Amino acid sequence: MNPGESADRAVRSGPGRMLVAVYGVFALAASARAAVQIATKFDEAPLAYLLSAFAAAVYIVLTVALARGARRPAVAACVVELAGVLIVGTLSLVDARAFPHATVWSGYGGGYGFVPLVLPVIGLVWLLRRRRPGS
Amino acid sequence: MIGAFSGGLIGAALLLALLALITAIRDRPMGVALLAGLAVVELALLVQAGLAVAEVGQVRERATFIGYLAGTVVIPPAAVWWGRAERTRWGPGVIAVAAFTVAVMTGRLLQLWNATA
Repeated sequence: MNPGESADRAVRSGPGRMLVAVYGVFALAASARAAVQIATKFDEAPLAYLLSAFAAAVYIVLTVALARGARRPAVAACVVELAGVLIVGTLSLVDARAFPHATVWSGYGGGYGFVPLVLPVIGLVWLLRRRRPGS
Repeated sequence: MIGAFSGGLIGAALLLALLALITAIRDRPMGVALLAGLAVVELALLVQAGLAVAEVGQVRERATFIGYLAGTVVIPPAAVWWGRAERTRWGPGVIAVAAFTVAVMTGRLLQLWNATA
């Protein structure tokens, strides 16, 4: 079987399971927060709240991809997440006025103990490290 | 919502997270003690949710508050379901994450509650 296509047990078992748990928490927290922000005060900062919703969507995709052992979508989502944290984090520091309302990724995820910054790195290390022995 | 009760709940959740972490470090799978601990925490979370919903009228950020309440109640069962399938040290690892999350979210609930009470 093509190792890239098949659902991969090695991705989701062991430490991968803990990764799924952490991502699950972030998916839950981010989507709940985004939903509340958009439903109650969307007009105040549409960009920030749309970014919150986008971040939540990325976390949901990652949680599902990791839980099902879908390696390729998981890697893609990790890259998007890392790029998002770095871009939004940098923009929020350079031009604070453009981001008056915090998102999950503002200040490199400092409001969440920098977990949003560390998590995709751990995820990528985990996903790519396990690729070699199988292929 | 009662501050002392939620404070105790935070303490219990942190204790459970510590226990789970020790179990993971000792390389043991999830045992009866951790399951019982999760059950106790879940029970306390349900009581807390009941107490809070009864007086939710005084909270300003009601939607957020209810979201957190629902989240805390869902997390322990999810941890059991997801941790049970993993009979290695990473099962307790999942429980440690879940218990820590419950502690943090209960802390946020108290903040939201006290902001208006």
